[in-house]
Amino acid sequence: MKLTVPYLGRIDIFLNAMARKIGPEFVFPPRTSSRTLLLGTKYSPESACLPFKFILGNFIEALEKGADTIAMITDRGPCRVGMYDVVMQQILRDLGFQFEWVVMDDTRILGDYLLRFNRERKKRGASFFESLQAIRFSWKKVKLCESIERKAQKTRPLEVKRGETTRVLTDSLRWIDEASSFRELALVDQQCTNEFNRIEKDPSRNPPKILITGEAYMVINPHANHDIERRLGEMGVEVTRTVWFSSQITHALHLDLFNPRSKRKAIEASQPYLKHNLGGECNASIGYPILYQKDGYEGAIQLLPFGCMLEAVAKNILVRVSQEHDLPILTFALSENLSETMIDTRLSAFVDLLQKRREKKRDR
Amino acid sequence: MTTRIGIPRALLFYRYFPFWEAFFQTLNFEVVVSRPSHRGLIEEGFKFADDDTCIPMKMAFAHTINIKEQIDFLFLPRLLSLDGKTCACPRLAGLPEMLKYSIPNLPTILDPYVDERHRNSTLFQSFSEMALTLGKKSKGIKQAFQEGEKAYFHSKKRMEKGEKNPELFGKAIEKDPLNNKERLGKKVAVVGHPYCLYDPYFNFDLLKILQQSQVFVYTQEMIPKEVIDLEIRGFEKDVYWDSGREILGASLHYLHTTQIDGLIYLTCFSCGVDSMIEPLVKHRIEEDGKILYLCLMIDEHTGPTGLLTRVEAFLETLERKKSGRRMT
Repeated sequence: MKLTVPYLGRIDIFLNAMARKIGPEFVFPPRTSSRTLLLGTKYSPESACLPFKFILGNFIEALEKGADTIAMITDRGPCRVGMYDVVMQQILRDLGFQFEWVVMDDTRILGDYLLRFNRERKKRGASFFESLQAIRFSWKKVKLCESIERKAQKTRPLEVKRGETTRVLTDSLRWIDEASSFRELALVDQQCTNEFNRIEKDPSRNPPKILITGEAYMVINPHANHDIERRLGEMGVEVTRTVWFSSQITHALHLDLFNPRSKRKAIEASQPYLKHNLGGECNASIGYPILYQKDGYEGAIQLLPFGCMLEAVAKNILVRVSQEHDLPILTFALSENLSETMIDTRLSAFVDLLQKRREKKRDR
Repeated sequence: MTTRIGIPRALLFYRYFPFWEAFFQTLNFEVVVSRPSHRGLIEEGFKFADDDTCIPMKMAFAHTINIKEQIDFLFLPRLLSLDGKTCACPRLAGLPEMLKYSIPNLPTILDPYVDERHRNSTLFQSFSEMALTLGKKSKGIKQAFQEGEKAYFHSKKRMEKGEKNPELFGKAIEKDPLNNKERLGKKVAVVGHPYCLYDPYFNFDLLKILQQSQVFVYTQEMIPKEVIDLEIRGFEKDVYWDSGREILGASLHYLHTTQIDGLIYLTCFSCGVDSMIEPLVKHRIEEDGKILYLCLMIDEHTGPTGLLTRVEAFLETLERKKSGRRMT
């Protein structure tokens, strides 16, 4: 079995680490390129949303590379991600691919997954303790990756030589992926910290802080949002994003009760504006800017894939949030026809606006 | 003066209006409905509406603006789940907030939250809570609710028979002398969201065009819910949107019973539900290969001529296919 999954943040590092210990074999789609999007757009229904096109393109490329099983998470509405599996299967089979599709949703009980996991484990001859260790190890890797990414977000606006942080980040992620034991991982951690400390920084700068919120797939995947984090960082802005691989997992497993910036808390914060939880990231997109403003964030960017139903609702409500909380919010509709220049222009205009606001506040 | 309740002639109006009207009238409210869509009315609404939503949504904005001066309360129910399994399109669920934050000087919105998945937000409970806040007695509410249900089932029965409800569709299709199976040769099913099918301004009076071209029109309303559920059960996936479920179930039913010659899928640009359902319907029909299929997607720039040309070509092909002539 050669399994493939859609990209979701650092899921590749997580699954690679697990696969090396206990299996199964993973075939990751090649890095998302313009060909991926072209393929996805070509075979997608006309008004499908952008994540659909990306994921379909990824799957086509993964199947070309030799994958024979596709696993994907689904849900029971109202977002259309729950219908992805039927439509995608139909499209891929029409294209002549042979594969098996594993649907993961909450209608099948957790026990079913555990049984399957156990079966897989026995087939590979790994003991139960080993499997638990493998999961713990993978989880630790992901956590390390994310802490490094956070470090990069903080360092990038301060770097003197442009592009150095990005280089260190890429190296660090590769090292983490290559580490094969807890001890090696600890060493890699040390090495990454050293590398980050070695970057030449200008501590006199006081970068504005911007929050990136919106639809999960768009926020978490740099290939989908045109690397908006790096772009903003190089404009001298400290950014953070709301969706992380680990936060999605902890939210799904109800393990984020005590995190003050969890999705759960964001949904609570959106209550005054939208009483009912509509599902997806809609309520969280509204709540996160309110929460993060308390941390000194001066602006927020909402990423919405063109045609997204839930984020369009959030967009309308964010207008009011922006007025009432005196927080500039830029809504960025992403589609397959975006030029790099256009993105840069809009982002730098937004950053200029934040700078002007700062000057105004200082004068007062 | 009685309290005036405003209902925009958009979205869920096209299905549940008989219920709402009977409910409010039994409770001695005056029901104000916005005027049928026309160009001026719609364009006024487009100024306020968000550009990332679909046209029916923008039309709801327009109709709200049309009546907002004449009413005391704006009635916009959130029908999130009516049978405890399905859910509504999220745009519909978020509509009251979208309107509230986009249109200035809006009257108080009544938005009963109907979600049969939770025990304390059933249809009756939500509606009676809403009526209680308006100062009505619970006994009267119960009676009004029954009246509403009666009116709704009555209109549903009529729709199933293929009659057009004059309260919903205005004078335009009040009587259908043409809709007579014996006289008409071609049978075409038209599926789509009720607000796409029954707003003559939106679809350039497609149903009338078809009727005038001697076509007997079937809609998904003519299929009882049980049949749709049965069809969906046979499908590989349990579709969770109530509207999508209906459209897919009806299309599959028409396909399996082979009582029609062609199927028209009417959809609007950037509809999330249709973007996933339409490929499924299309695939099934093309696989079967017995009936003709046409997908009409309508956006702000669609003109009546373009639509008419496509429909005429569709009917022409249908004719040729029926008479057994080969296309040259």
